[in-house]
Amino acid sequence: MNSTFANVVSSLPADYADLRFEENRKVRIVYEGKELTQVATTLTSGGHVRAYANGGKAIASFSDPGRAGPIAEATCSSAMLVGNSREKKLKVASAPVITESFLASPSRDPRKVSLNEKLELTTHYNELVLRNPNVITTQTVYDEFTSRRIFVNSDGSIIEYELINVGVFGMIVTKKRDVVQRVRFAFGGNTDFAPLLNREQDLAKQIEKACELLDAEPAKAGVYPVVLDPSESGVFIHEAFGHLSEADGLQNNPSFRAKLQLGKTLGKPILNVADDATLEGLPGSFEIDDEGVRGMRTPLITDGVLSGRMHSRETAAEFGEPLSGNMRAVDVQFTPIVRMSNILIEAGNSTFDDMVSSIDDGYYLVGAKGGQTSGDQFTFGAQWGYRIKGGKLASMVRDINMSGELFSTLQATSMIGNDVKFGERGGCGKGGGGPMQMNRKSGKGSPHIKIDAVTIGGI
Amino acid sequence: MHPIIENAKQTTDQAELYWNRSHSIAVRYENCRLQQVTENDVSEASLRVIKQGKLGSAYAVFPDQEGFLDNAITSAAYGDPAQFSFAGQADYPQLATYDEDAAQLQSADLITLCESIKSKLQKQLPNAALGMGAKHVRTELTIQTSNGANAEAKSTEASYYFGAPFRGAGTGVFKFASGVSSPVVNDRLLDEFVEWYNWGNRTSTPSTGRLPVMLTPQASFLMMMPLLAGVSGDAVWKKTSPLTDKIGEPVLSDRLTIHDNPLLAGSADARAFDDEGVPCHKRAIVKNGVLQGAIFDQRVGAAMGHPSTGNGFKRTMFGSGNETPVNPWFCCPTIEPGDTSWRKLMSSIKEGLLITGGMGFHSGNYPQGQFAVQAVGFHIIDGEVVGRLDKTMISGNIYEDFQKIGALSSETGPSGGFLALGESPYILVDSLQVAGR
Repeated sequence: MNSTFANVVSSLPADYADLRFEENRKVRIVYEGKELTQVATTLTSGGHVRAYANGGKAIASFSDPGRAGPIAEATCSSAMLVGNSREKKLKVASAPVITESFLASPSRDPRKVSLNEKLELTTHYNELVLRNPNVITTQTVYDEFTSRRIFVNSDGSIIEYELINVGVFGMIVTKKRDVVQRVRFAFGGNTDFAPLLNREQDLAKQIEKACELLDAEPAKAGVYPVVLDPSESGVFIHEAFGHLSEADGLQNNPSFRAKLQLGKTLGKPILNVADDATLEGLPGSFEIDDEGVRGMRTPLITDGVLSGRMHSRETAAEFGEPLSGNMRAVDVQFTPIVRMSNILIEAGNSTFDDMVSSIDDGYYLVGAKGGQTSGDQFTFGAQWGYRIKGGKLASMVRDINMSGELFSTLQATSMIGNDVKFGERGGCGKGGGGPMQMNRKSGKGSPHIKIDAVTIGGI
Repeated sequence: MHPIIENAKQTTDQAELYWNRSHSIAVRYENCRLQQVTENDVSEASLRVIKQGKLGSAYAVFPDQEGFLDNAITSAAYGDPAQFSFAGQADYPQLATYDEDAAQLQSADLITLCESIKSKLQKQLPNAALGMGAKHVRTELTIQTSNGANAEAKSTEASYYFGAPFRGAGTGVFKFASGVSSPVVNDRLLDEFVEWYNWGNRTSTPSTGRLPVMLTPQASFLMMMPLLAGVSGDAVWKKTSPLTDKIGEPVLSDRLTIHDNPLLAGSADARAFDDEGVPCHKRAIVKNGVLQGAIFDQRVGAAMGHPSTGNGFKRTMFGSGNETPVNPWFCCPTIEPGDTSWRKLMSSIKEGLLITGGMGFHSGNYPQGQFAVQAVGFHIIDGEVVGRLDKTMISGNIYEDFQKIGALSSETGPSGGFLALGESPYILVDSLQVAGR
């Protein structure tokens, strides 16, 4: 099949073309409360072709591999149609030709674990949560995704590679009178089954927090200094800065492109940020991206100064900057777009106690609860938090969402901790101009950080 | 009947096939330039079986894919007891969901449409970084069961959007339109876009406190998403919904009447049957503020002793698609309009906000009716827009704050946000908590 696909792309009258064919297997076990709502295996396959011709670009997804040839030809014709209307022609940067296999070999391979063991593990964690009398329901999910991919391009690359992502995650829902609270848990999130095991103590801590929240007060609206735990600050740097470092979002946005020239000072010299696909055992680690470029470490902010960004071959050519290996597609129905791998704020010198004691009236916010970004505007939620009064942690707070503007918030990041930690479960939603792609393989890491002013929505 | 149903009859108690084939073409412009043409030709299938009284499911590309039935049977071996049967033979409403002209649209037609939008907008906004796109989808959906259901629908969807970020800003204005038929550029939408884009030339931050807020149709999801989460039969069954035991009681302002209307004429989301092959029909959710009832699929309905309301869809609040299990969810939620134009309503606001969107909704405690989002929209003083909102959040609880609604506009538009379906008027709320200066 590899040579058939290689012949398809090499025979096209294109400036550049590539084709990715995937065979994907998903195993999903879902409990909702006591009810086992899903034990499902999904087998899907299909192809995706991209063509650059006459300076234009077109893409196509297809289910039937027998139609790869005619679909690739039609895609090439569409690319020429696009090219006819463009004065500024699209190009791709040159990249090394790779003819290698990158197969996954986790220490405990989830593909070799029986469905029975996976179900027993999921049932065990779900029952632990349900034992607590404050819990009114749960969602406990075993989620396994394995993908075997073939990538060929008109440069001559022929690459076989595998992706694995396995985890148990869920939601603990507690209730007391009219107050209902939700706290998340997640174990695993990389290629290995082993980290999913023996996590009872970690689960117990999350159950305890979900119960404590029932007596917490809602956050109060206003502008405050905050300390973010590593989970929250990982989401902050992902949402607020990471997405603006993905070059496909800047490519056709002249005002932000002008604001984000390499060499611009964005924060204090204590701030260092990188994207790193080469860190082992994290959700966003990989060897090769979906454009046939090797994953790598890319410094993004060095000593407070913008020092790099994440690229596709197309954006690298347009910006005249180095390749970064960040093009990924969640599955065959999607085209690759520029995605973070593992983004991290590197360690500073401050301690958590230093940060809390420096705040007279503010919040300590804990536990990522998702975020959103649009240009330089961002929001993110916290699973729980604590009021800080007179330099000390005070009462617990709930229902916290906050927002800000990137450039002023990076400048207001005044203390960086020495305790870098990565979240286990990855995740990121991005459309990139097309349909939303929910990417499991997106890691986030950070130490505790202090931001001098953040807007908090509340009562 | 598809052979897989015939085969499944030999080895299972009951079987249900869902098979969706779609062909789509999309064109996308960025910063006024044609960026990409996308053409997809995709098949997706899912199979549910009940064997020895237990429910199992599997997903594949084609129904005749090797291992498809075996995977569903394996799943059933581990599954929970099924408390329901798959749908039987039924008569479905007749809906005009297919337009022959729309089915023939090619990328060149969509490019012509976008060039027309671009040409009109660039005359008035020569420096805006305009993004736009158009899409055509042709779909064939088949749902068959071993109990005799045989639901088939052909549909077309044609849509377009356009937008631009405010100069130097992360937010902007975005408009869209969709339907079953070939799209025609709506000049009113273009004019409104130009007006709103120009409103955003300046920024303004209101002071912290409670202020009147008017939600545009695109921002109505701030009220509708928490409400729909609460009305889902699944949340009522598990008693996580604040609306549990509230049927027949007032839960929102008496100005609000809300239906789920899968038969909405001309809507690309209209459906004659749900994803379980159960006939769809228009259903009241809230009437003059009073909760009328929850919605059910077959599974949750059976658990609560209630028949399916024809709301079993492969959709959840934040996702949809072949691999999404069937849940109780909405098809086309619509809010009945009022009788005053939105401009007249806006002119009555001494100081307040016109909200076109909200960021970060999904991070909030929405199942309980709460929201806290970064506000996207405009600051109003003495009935006039004084600038686009900057550094502003709004928050509230729909079951408290939406008890007091000043008025609903006479105009309606497509709901936005995560809904992207249904229709809503502008909603003027007496006050919400604002975090600003």
